[in-house]
Amino acid sequence: MNIYLREMKSSRKSLFIWCIAMIVFIAAAMGKYAASSYVSGQSLNDIISKMPEAVKSMFGADRFDLSKAIGFYGAMFIYVVLMAAIHASLIGSNIISKEEDDKTAEFLMSKPVSRAKVITSKLLAAITNIAVFNIITMLSSIYFVGYYSKGENVTDDVIRLMIGVLFLQLIFMSLGLCFSAFLKNPKLASPCTVGIMLATYILSLAIDINSHLSGLKYLTPFKYFDAKNLIYEKGFEIIYIVLSVLIISVFIFAAYVFYQKRDLKI
Amino acid sequence: MNVIEVNNLTKYYGKSRGIIDVSFDVEEGEIFGFIGPNGAGKSTTIRILLSLIYPTSGSAKIFGKDCINYGPEIKKDIGYLPSEVFYYDNMKVIDLLKYSASFYKKDCSKRIKELSEMMDLDLNKRIDDLSYGNRKKVGILQGLLHEPKLLILDEPTSGLDPLMQQRFFNLLREENKKGVTILFSSHILSEVQKLCNRVAIIKEGRIISLEKISTLRENSYKKVTIEVNSPVKGEYFSIDGVSNLEMKDNTISFLFKGDTNLIVKKIAEISISDVTIEEPSLEEIFMHYYTRG
Amino acid sequence: MNMVLHELKSCRKSTIVWAISIALMTIFFLSLYPSFSSSASLVKKILEGYPEPVRKAFGISIDDVTKFLGFYSYMFSYVVLLGAIQAMNYGISAISKEIKLKTADFLITKPVRRDEVLTSKLFASLISLIITDIIYLVTAFITAESVAKESFNIKLFFMISVTLFFVQVIFMSIGILLSTIMRKIKSTISISLGVVFAFYIIGMLQATLNDKAMKYITPFKYFDAGYIIKNSSYDMTFVIISLFVVVVSILLSYVFFLKRDIYAV
Repeated sequence: MNIYLREMKSSRKSLFIWCIAMIVFIAAAMGKYAASSYVSGQSLNDIISKMPEAVKSMFGADRFDLSKAIGFYGAMFIYVVLMAAIHASLIGSNIISKEEDDKTAEFLMSKPVSRAKVITSKLLAAITNIAVFNIITMLSSIYFVGYYSKGENVTDDVIRLMIGVLFLQLIFMSLGLCFSAFLKNPKLASPCTVGIMLATYILSLAIDINSHLSGLKYLTPFKYFDAKNLIYEKGFEIIYIVLSVLIISVFIFAAYVFYQKRDLKI
Repeated sequence: MNVIEVNNLTKYYGKSRGIIDVSFDVEEGEIFGFIGPNGAGKSTTIRILLSLIYPTSGSAKIFGKDCINYGPEIKKDIGYLPSEVFYYDNMKVIDLLKYSASFYKKDCSKRIKELSEMMDLDLNKRIDDLSYGNRKKVGILQGLLHEPKLLILDEPTSGLDPLMQQRFFNLLREENKKGVTILFSSHILSEVQKLCNRVAIIKEGRIISLEKISTLRENSYKKVTIEVNSPVKGEYFSIDGVSNLEMKDNTISFLFKGDTNLIVKKIAEISISDVTIEEPSLEEIFMHYYTRG
Repeated sequence: MNMVLHELKSCRKSTIVWAISIALMTIFFLSLYPSFSSSASLVKKILEGYPEPVRKAFGISIDDVTKFLGFYSYMFSYVVLLGAIQAMNYGISAISKEIKLKTADFLITKPVRRDEVLTSKLFASLISLIITDIIYLVTAFITAESVAKESFNIKLFFMISVTLFFVQVIFMSIGILLSTIMRKIKSTISISLGVVFAFYIIGMLQATLNDKAMKYITPFKYFDAGYIIKNSSYDMTFVIISLFVVVVSILLSYVFFLKRDIYAV
């Protein structure tokens, strides 16, 4: 519990900044929506709907009904996802490796705690951070999207989207955790995690512009919880939920195993 | 000539005290001790001399030149060993030393070889893999390889084993004989006692005393403890210069200040089984500086 | 010179990794072009059925989208994103890594002026960026030649491509400024990702909303590929803004770095 509280305290400031940034982003994006021509841009929707997938994604327009607030939010949603993914990657990869990086590992490990307990406390702290970020994002989304949606109920849609984001956050957080437990040089944990995160993001963009690549969608978590599907179509797909849970468990399990065995770099 | 002249240096970190109104001079060719408890302001003073930080007020000169304005120029002839040594990861010892040497525009390879043999340091190891003491050795080599005229040492001996400390002190004495001036900061008084000519004592940011080591010694008391075979009268040692006289069974102890011959003669006249005449360490002399308010 | 070499050595590995990552991404994306161009001709027909004002709303004219350079500039925006992260990393770590590794004591007590230290670091970062960019240019050009069915304007291709370097220089100088202002930077990557993505997201919002004012905020929009294709030149307003940002950031970095205290451990 003391380790958990220590972690929460040390990440308090950065979590606060992230949350503020997210609120500002959502407020700015939705505010811009109200001011833009999209509200009356029905004709644009017609054109967009006729475009092939490849070209649509180039415009960033996709299949969202931009004349509705939730549609616009869906189109902006990728940036929410991206921010959440960056945040989760950094939290996951830093929370263990920073002890070695800041040379506090000796202090911590000479205390009567097992390494497993250290990971558990840190994992819980990371999850708390992620959850807070997620909930703040959800609440501010519900508020701002709701504000511009002219009475339509958007809460369900937003909640569904944010549950998807939570899975994505957990995947990248556990990836980061796994890296920092596995790599001998703790400095490499963040760059590796962020590198993979960006690579999967770019892969998801490539899949958008080329349908031949759709087989690769299992490789990129950014495709697991697609905003279009969550808003307009199937909702959650079982296969992706199973896959996510599997990935998260494997990474976390691996983190415990590797960290117990590794020589700490002091 | 003064190698270092410090005039009324004051440094505040925001509102918290660094040093206040510190002044002292270090003459050419001397080994100058700079002692004080932790957090007294030793490192702050040294870091100003090296223009790592800038003074709030006051000034300091090295080789007669302002240490802020002529920083790069005077640093050509300064060797510095920080209290905690940190060097670039992913570098071998020799790479770091070569990098260090590259700043001085002279060939230091011979000197590196000499010093590394003397300090028993493996040049081909990676710095990351070195122990604390060995890293300290890298620091020493790095500070000495360009044959500086002034050595600034900030708690240099921590982490060195006694043998290495001995070698290091010998090295310093040799350098000093060649005319190198040394500013030696430490909180270990016996070190300073062994090595230095003069000493400045700093406490809570202020210099509280500046003396020659020899003067300190002359003024000091000797602590005498005697085991006698048969009891002696209490008045026997009640002579000038004796204080704190204590007698317990056959053990007599007292502090003595004055002509040592006198007291030795006195002791020789009685039958004793053991005697110790202790040179009080600087610790004992200075203890009141440390503890008093 | 010794400091420049030392810096180059220390970021050698990272330069190689960045250059290879960017090159691989370029090859991967450009190899998608052939299949893209076949579906794109469909769009062209659809779009032609709509009146001019509607088409304009997209920001890029139809020809530009479907032609190779249009596709290239779409993909190029991700190259710039990665390049900006790299540049920001170099800028931030230049000074902050000496503070974090506590090697600043070593460097500053050598007989060099602080501005020489900063200049060397600046040069080393620039050289690393130039090496990355040359590798990118060569890879992109070779791949482009082999995937583009029609011939494309080589001059425009290079005019777009070198803007990678311009944007990188902007981010590098912002990074250096940050590292000289902030007392201690715990995690380079958090700050650089935060700043770069903030600008990137502003850029994407700008594209979606077509908001003119937002263009000035984000360096990602200073060298708009659409503008270059249309006018065969850079937008002078933004060239001047870029120069201004770079010069001011670097000047301020020198001012702050010369004055700052290097604290004990």
